[in-house]
Amino acid sequence: MPGMSEQGRAATAIQGRSLRQIAWRRLKRDRVALAGGGVVITLILVAIFAPVIVAILGHPPLEFHYDKVDPELQVPRGHFGGISPDFLFGAEPVNGRDVFSRVVYGSRISLLIAFAATMLSVLLGTVLGVISGYFGGWVDTLISRTMDVFLAFPLLLFAIALAGVVPDRAFGLTGDTLRITLMVFIIGFFSWPYIGRIVRGQALSLREREFIDAARSLGARSPRILCTEMLPNLAAPILVYSTLLIPTNILFEAALSFLGVGVRAPTPTWGGMLSEATHWFQIAPNFMLFPGLAIFVTVLAFNLFGDGLRDALDPRSR
Amino acid sequence: MGTKRPAAALAALAALLLAACGGPSTGGPDRGTSGGIHNPSDAKGGTLRYADSGDWDSLDPADTYYAYTWNFARLYGRALVMFKPAPGAQGATLVPDLAESLGRSSDGAKTWTYTLRPGVRFEDGSPVTSKDVKYAVERSLDKTTFPNGPTYFNDLLDLQGYTSPYADPDPDKLGLKAIETPDDRTIVFHLRKAFSGFDYLAQIPATMPVPRAKDTGSKYKEHVVSTGPYKFQTNELGKRFTMVRNPEWDPATDPNRRPLPDRITVDLNVNADDVDNRLISGDLDVAIEGAGVGPSAQGRILAYQGLRANTDSASVARLWYTALNPDVAPLDNIHCRKAVLYAADRTGYQRAYGGGTGGEIATNLLPPVIPGAKRFDLYPSPKHTGDIAKARDELAQCGAPNGFTTGISYRAERPKEKAAAEALQQSLARAGIKLEIKPYPLGDYTRLYAGKPDYAKANDLGLIVYGWGADWPDGYGFLAQIVDSRVIRATGGNTNLGIRDPAIDQMLDQALLTTDTAAREQIWQGIDRKVMEDAFVLPGVWARGLLYRPPNLTNVFISDGFQMYDYLPLGTTRR
Amino acid sequence: MGAYIVRRMIAAVLLLLIVTAATFVVFFLVPRLAGATPEDLASRYVGRTASPQVIHQIAVKLGFTDPVWVQYGRFVKGLVLGAAYSTGPTTVHCPAPCFGYSFLTQNPVLPDLLDRLPVTMSLAAGGALIWLLAGVSTGVISALRRGSIFDRAAMGVALAGVSLPIFFTGLLALSIFSYWLGITAPGGSYVPLEENPLRWAYDLLLPWITLAFLYAAGYARLTRAGMLDTMGEDFIRTARAKGLPERTVVLKHGLRSALTPILTIFGLDLGLLLGGAILTESTYSLPGIGKYSVDAVVNNDLPKVLGVVLVGSIFIIVANLVVDLLYAVVDPRVRY
Repeated sequence: MPGMSEQGRAATAIQGRSLRQIAWRRLKRDRVALAGGGVVITLILVAIFAPVIVAILGHPPLEFHYDKVDPELQVPRGHFGGISPDFLFGAEPVNGRDVFSRVVYGSRISLLIAFAATMLSVLLGTVLGVISGYFGGWVDTLISRTMDVFLAFPLLLFAIALAGVVPDRAFGLTGDTLRITLMVFIIGFFSWPYIGRIVRGQALSLREREFIDAARSLGARSPRILCTEMLPNLAAPILVYSTLLIPTNILFEAALSFLGVGVRAPTPTWGGMLSEATHWFQIAPNFMLFPGLAIFVTVLAFNLFGDGLRDALDPRSR
Repeated sequence: MGTKRPAAALAALAALLLAACGGPSTGGPDRGTSGGIHNPSDAKGGTLRYADSGDWDSLDPADTYYAYTWNFARLYGRALVMFKPAPGAQGATLVPDLAESLGRSSDGAKTWTYTLRPGVRFEDGSPVTSKDVKYAVERSLDKTTFPNGPTYFNDLLDLQGYTSPYADPDPDKLGLKAIETPDDRTIVFHLRKAFSGFDYLAQIPATMPVPRAKDTGSKYKEHVVSTGPYKFQTNELGKRFTMVRNPEWDPATDPNRRPLPDRITVDLNVNADDVDNRLISGDLDVAIEGAGVGPSAQGRILAYQGLRANTDSASVARLWYTALNPDVAPLDNIHCRKAVLYAADRTGYQRAYGGGTGGEIATNLLPPVIPGAKRFDLYPSPKHTGDIAKARDELAQCGAPNGFTTGISYRAERPKEKAAAEALQQSLARAGIKLEIKPYPLGDYTRLYAGKPDYAKANDLGLIVYGWGADWPDGYGFLAQIVDSRVIRATGGNTNLGIRDPAIDQMLDQALLTTDTAAREQIWQGIDRKVMEDAFVLPGVWARGLLYRPPNLTNVFISDGFQMYDYLPLGTTRR
Repeated sequence: MGAYIVRRMIAAVLLLLIVTAATFVVFFLVPRLAGATPEDLASRYVGRTASPQVIHQIAVKLGFTDPVWVQYGRFVKGLVLGAAYSTGPTTVHCPAPCFGYSFLTQNPVLPDLLDRLPVTMSLAAGGALIWLLAGVSTGVISALRRGSIFDRAAMGVALAGVSLPIFFTGLLALSIFSYWLGITAPGGSYVPLEENPLRWAYDLLLPWITLAFLYAAGYARLTRAGMLDTMGEDFIRTARAKGLPERTVVLKHGLRSALTPILTIFGLDLGLLLGGAILTESTYSLPGIGKYSVDAVVNNDLPKVLGVVLVGSIFIIVANLVVDLLYAVVDPRVRY
């Protein structure tokens, strides 16, 4: 990016700007999108530096604090679930765990799974979508029907079923690593048609364009055309829809954790915390509020940034 | 919320024979029953509203096996005998229901005879005969059509190859020779071996009469023909059913029942939190499973004196515990097991189950409710929080001075077990014992996972979180299925999760032969002590259920027979 | 057009076969690959004291000892021709389409499904109506008053709606409006429409609003974007130039063009929702198909799962078909 603007400056007003430059300038002017982007970056940093943050501001996420909980009522002592300088978001009922550190650590799971699953979806969706749209014919029909099949599945159900059926030790992995991989696979695998359809549509319209014909007439073969001509032009919509797929996947993972099929206890996940909080929301509302707000803020930030990105990259928007 | 308490196995009844032989069991102040009757009343009318957080296993009396369903079944069926609907120790005694008196034994307790009361009719007006009782027991033998019910009759009756009335060549389908019906009011049972506790079998709902003409097999549960004070009005499977008064029930034939409400409704599959919320708000009268309110409702109820006054703490003959599996190294070494017992924080375990209201910290096996139970602690620690120094000492003795790693399993759908597993993970870590938490589905827990020796060993399940309750408060019934090494099956489905000590087996056999109550109780204590000395079990809490009764409920008391509210006498002031 | 519909029907049947076959694979093949025997599978559905012989008999009765394709074939045959089940003394004929009997409760699956369908339909229909009206009208107004306070506020709220998980908003709404303020029904209330329409609507009010909040947000954004695109087109300028009243221009010309993508999404959303609003029903404890399906999956009760999967897929496929057909009505360029 810095290289680009230097180039632009050097060539002054005569040289036209590339799409990237235009998009970047527009994005920079969109305050709201930048705010979203800022929050996203902050969240990523929080996830990466979770151990440091928790060491300074909270207690270890798995540590129990019985002194913080009333032994008879099982409810955290203090107002609003025990919020104090020591327990920034209060404590969990029954065991007194620090809600703040659990929310911070939960961000790791949510972001990791969402990013990885999105990458998987994008990979699958782009490859299959491009092939389908470019080659057409029976290849297209086959891939399109497959996409239809996937879209006809009651997704959540299958995710629950698959997650429940896999044993504790599989593919050489166990514990948290296994569950996270499983989540990434399930979410990513079931989300690819969304990207696939869009890419296919774009590829369909692109292949009719002149520059493809030109490349073909120059003797370029299909794989080369796909890589050098199609993909760069698809980069923009892929980027936009990926950014918009991430919040969907965050919500998907939260839903799976909420239904009890995600990463296992006691590893903290936002959806898992919400699921436990449903029993307590009348007397320990902090337990429900903070994980819910975490999901909200994260998803909102991604949506804002994604919207801004789409507006910036869309040549038709004013 | 919502732990359904299963009925015990055959051995439980073998023990009851002893209880019956030895005389009435001692009821003590320890039992935690509410003593008297709350809100006594004779006022009739109103609708009694029940809710279940799950589904009935089956309304068909031949196909059901939970304490609460047996409690409730007495409203629409009359078995030969039943538990007396009275508070305190009386509630654990048997009184005749369909029969005129308790069973008469002969031939060395291998033959049992009952005489039916005259004038009892089905809801369609047809008279009940002994043949209807025989048919009912016959159909309960068919375990492929009725897989959920208990198998006592299969095991004890002299079947001579009889399988099912649906495969019976006899034109009346009464081909089972082990049950004779010399006339319409007499029924005789012939057993394979002597069993003096047969009256306890006679109270099982399987002896509730079934008219053959109306028997539709696995569909019978859609409309069970009633002999009790209520009959089914509507039945939406899996959703709800309603009952109204049965005009053919004759109070002159029934000294035990005084049915007050005009209508009964039972909602099924209601979210557990909703059940609690509705109880408190007055939209519901009884939470039918009788296990007590959930932790968040408990918090709310205990915080307000107005609500607190409407609760009863039922001490249940149930122990929540963690088994230490000797098949998994290094728990094969007794010192490593003792290390676990010393390191565990018992207060954490108790908190996992709801603090003091959820249960009392257990230091040995037998729940205090059971006659002959005595408390003792072989692994004392300051305020039950665990003794790390002693734990380290034991670890050194077993060759793992820095601790070891193993798995701890629990039933995924039980949040309290999850909390217990997490609590143990925390407290044992203080001694260097690292636990990996592994949840398994409730339905398969004993059959395929924790209760299958090969699986448990292959998957490193060193600690197994579990619980066990006896249906009838009795020492043998509580202990046998969990400490007898001879009931362990390689095929899974075990409730004994790893206790293998021939000395204990011998003591159990000895108890079966002992007729003197005091001597028998000494043996229970001995077995209890031996298990603790062998360090096979980490006892958690002796369960208590916090039952909530809305103010409009009348005639409320805890039945010692079922260890929850007795559903027979309940009434409501709500109109 | 007729030929097109026939082709789509055939494709739909194929699709359903694939989806159900996949369900079988997940439920049977995967555990088998993990080493479970027919008896292991059968043992979930029997009582606690079942002996090994009984477990084996049940395994045979439920068909687990047969190869997977035989069981699948039996299922398809039941769907098409119906099946006969023994209840003990009698044989019951389960008319086509027969979805089988639940492994766990031995209750027939289809009546259960049909019973729960009205709940899910009530939820989906009511919610859909609200979100369509609210979402589209908000989007239209936002587009017309682009940049105004209303626009910003509406789009802000919409963004919030899309970013909140429904179980969170649901729980929040329940705790505030039902339990604290007491103005809406508590969780688990549902009364059929025929029984008491007013009560029916009252019980569903909160679920409708939370559901609508989630979807309306998306539709508002979609409508706004679509309207902004359309209103800039030439034919709108022509319509205005012709002297048509603004309302006609906006609604009859503008909205109609912008409607196509909205229709697509609406059809798909409705189809998905009818297949089981799992999260909403779980949050509000509504006895609909969604909750039924979660219970079925968690208990590994294959007949129930197959039933739900079939019903859900049928709805999705039908919705897709209807939407595609509606294209032909709305957009005269589309020809089949």
